[in-house]
Amino acid sequence: MSVSIIVDNVVKKFEDTTVIDKLSLQIKPGELFTLLGPSGCGKTTLLRMIIGFNSIDGGSIRIADKEVNHIPVSKRNMGMVFQNYAIFPHMSVKDNIAFGLKNRKLGKEEMEKRINDILRVVHIEKYKDRMPDKLSGGQQQRVALARAIVIHPEVLLMDEPLSNLDAKLRVEMRNAIRSIQQQVGITTVYVTHDQEEALAISDRIAVMNGGVIQQIGTPKSIYERPANIFVSKFIGTSNVMKATLKVENGEKYIQLSDTYQEKMANLKDQAKPGGTVLVSVRPQEFMINEEKVGLKGKVIRSMFLGINTHYFIELEQGEEVEVIQDADAVELIPEGATVYLKVKPTKINVFSSEDETTLIKVGGINESK
Amino acid sequence: MKANKKPFNIWNTSTLLILCIFLLFIAFPLFLVLKKSVIDPGTGQFTFEYLSKFFERKFYWITILNSFKVTVAATLLSMVIGLPLAYMMRKVKIKGSKVIEILVIISYISPPFIGAYAWIQLLGRRGVVTEFVNNLFGTQFDGIYGFAGIVLVLSLQSFPLIYLYISGALKNLDNSLNEAAESLGYSNIQRMFKIIIPLIIPTMLASALLVFMRVIADFGTPMLIGEGYRTIPVLIYTQFMSEVGGNDGFAAALCMIFIVVTLVLFLVQRIVASRFSYSMSALKPMSVEKVKGYKNILSHAFVYFVVLLAILPQLVVTFTSFLETKGGQVYTGNFSFDNYKNILFMKNTAVIWNTYKMGIIAIIIIVVLGVLISYLTVRKKNAITNILDTVSMFPFIIPGSVLGISFIFAFSDKPFVLSGTVLIMVMSFVIRRMPYTIRSSTAIIGQISPSLEEAAISLGASETKTFRKVVVPMMMPGVMAGAIMSWITVISELSSSIILYTSGTQTLTVSIYTEVIRGNYGNASAYSAILTVTSIISLLLFFKLTGKREVSV
Repeated sequence: MSVSIIVDNVVKKFEDTTVIDKLSLQIKPGELFTLLGPSGCGKTTLLRMIIGFNSIDGGSIRIADKEVNHIPVSKRNMGMVFQNYAIFPHMSVKDNIAFGLKNRKLGKEEMEKRINDILRVVHIEKYKDRMPDKLSGGQQQRVALARAIVIHPEVLLMDEPLSNLDAKLRVEMRNAIRSIQQQVGITTVYVTHDQEEALAISDRIAVMNGGVIQQIGTPKSIYERPANIFVSKFIGTSNVMKATLKVENGEKYIQLSDTYQEKMANLKDQAKPGGTVLVSVRPQEFMINEEKVGLKGKVIRSMFLGINTHYFIELEQGEEVEVIQDADAVELIPEGATVYLKVKPTKINVFSSEDETTLIKVGGINESK
Repeated sequence: MKANKKPFNIWNTSTLLILCIFLLFIAFPLFLVLKKSVIDPGTGQFTFEYLSKFFERKFYWITILNSFKVTVAATLLSMVIGLPLAYMMRKVKIKGSKVIEILVIISYISPPFIGAYAWIQLLGRRGVVTEFVNNLFGTQFDGIYGFAGIVLVLSLQSFPLIYLYISGALKNLDNSLNEAAESLGYSNIQRMFKIIIPLIIPTMLASALLVFMRVIADFGTPMLIGEGYRTIPVLIYTQFMSEVGGNDGFAAALCMIFIVVTLVLFLVQRIVASRFSYSMSALKPMSVEKVKGYKNILSHAFVYFVVLLAILPQLVVTFTSFLETKGGQVYTGNFSFDNYKNILFMKNTAVIWNTYKMGIIAIIIIVVLGVLISYLTVRKKNAITNILDTVSMFPFIIPGSVLGISFIFAFSDKPFVLSGTVLIMVMSFVIRRMPYTIRSSTAIIGQISPSLEEAAISLGASETKTFRKVVVPMMMPGVMAGAIMSWITVISELSSSIILYTSGTQTLTVSIYTEVIRGNYGNASAYSAILTVTSIISLLLFFKLTGKREVSV
């Protein structure tokens, strides 16, 4: 039932500027695939190429192995949920949902059944006869979703669907979208600039920047093993520091300060000794210790958040880093105190200082299997 | 909020003052119209004689039918022109669309009777086009007068309003609605009927009703080009003018009938506006696309042709104003500045300065009162400001000719003898234009958060100082823009001025009208050109001030 989407070397030009140049990716049947990136990275452009609002200026897009390049939007059988929902203001909830069905010669009973089923799935049976201006943002969102999937599209496309909702509703709706998507089992392409949303909702994520895919992978692999500095900074928080690569007795080390180095067992062969590398450490990958080993620094500010505590620490060599300590740690460290930081060598990531790509063996542009 | 409890603070005082002005210049004249229409002046008894006189003779009641015929025809025709124009301009890339937009606005702001006069020059009995066609085909075409002439002029004058409204609605129509329908399997034409048209129907109705009100109250056009095809405003004017010192009662009765008609229209418009409206705001408006082939050619041809027709009157009057005439009536075919010499040096130049002088005084009063009234009714709500709010709406339903007559009734005798003065002209402008300024100022105040005023007061400023130093400066840009648009309509006002003017208070519009009636086409063209140029300069000033190439209508 579910279909795959293959994007093969597609090109998009707006007048003379090429915004997407030979981009390829494959979306598996039934998965929720997210295009993630900052605004202007081309993720919405790519989505609109898949549905057909944007023309394809090179390469091809294939749905279930059938090229769709020249099929008009109205014949592509794809459902789309828009950023501002695009609920027709002159139609009731029911009429909005029925709108796509009316164009497909369905029997009256079949139509009623489909509408009632979908109303139940998205939990808006109560609002069936309401006009859109009497609905909250979350309810409009549910109508938009229902309207898109009731036509049984081959593919569901969602363009920043949660960006107009408040924080609490956003979490609620992303859970709802995920569970409805799983229930229906439809191949879904989801566009967002919110990395937390992407991590929470996706089977796999493609991180994009400047029209180019930076990395494709599961939320876990992208978070833990970012392919380059951009991904490491865009997903979650990363402290990036300079360090020197050393080899002693055939073992590789990264030297973070004059007195502190860590053995790295998972560096690629191309990592050559003597050179400068960039080390990316997430706040929870630092360990504050009292044995006076590691990077020396001074606490300049602390933030107690209940579940954990954030410290902002100025290192001796000048950088400021953010460190997170779990709540079960003994007691708060006072501001102004001198601390020593060690990193978790199995967790941290090391990047080449030349092209900013990862020097860790697993990971990279192609996802880990 | 202690200040509000004092009975005679600045707000209460100004509320009462404005109320007095309204009572004197709106309620009192209207009351007199009502009274004269049903009271026999001889016996002082209540009578239906005047009202029934209208319905008894076909000569009279046919005018109401005529008015409705031309109004319905002109409204429909302006829709037929305005709707596709708006759609094409939003959808298709038209070369020179910015210029076209401005030309449409110019044709919208110019007085309709100039259009009538210009079309007489083209398609009238001795019109250029008429003679050309008759010579070419040997026909006996007698010029476009009566029903056809009125409808032609008023449709061309009114479609810009439809265009501006629909264009605004299309701009607010989010393209993702269109895209959503497309993704649900709807073709281009299906989307047009299922999405776009239903969504702009409220705007279509609202703009059509506005056109309807404007057209039915228009006096100059049917007067000039109607030639015996009489509408209500023409009947009111001729009855009132021919029965000087005689029977006011019948003229008053006509006014009452006319007010009832416009009142009904006004109420319908209100209901339509409140009942059918969708709050839309476009995240992504419809985009203009380059179209190829015959569609492109047809779109361009339609747009250019329509805009040419709309702007033709301005071109004709400006062109003819430079033509030499014999005795002011027959064009000799040579160019000259004689017409301008005539009106600037030979004739009474006061008419030009009168227009500017009285217009500016009126605008100042309109702005001061408008800002004050809107502030009072929005921020200082109480029973009296509510009355103020309601009374300030009255002029919407008083056609110009009715206002003129009611002023004559009210201000010819003691205790208020104002007829023939500058004041009566100025006040007629003020009352005619005020509701529009109040409405736009109210919208502007609605956008200013009350917390700004509270901040000023919490910092120690008095309420009056807060009004002067915070509210007024914030409102000014919007109000000034509105004032310029008011100014443009004030200087082209004819229907009340023609009744109220005397030789000392004659305006440009009145001069154009009287010169046309006398057949002095050369002078009329020169006056019209001055008026047109003033309007265009004012419009450019408006663009400069708002930084936009749009007018809100």
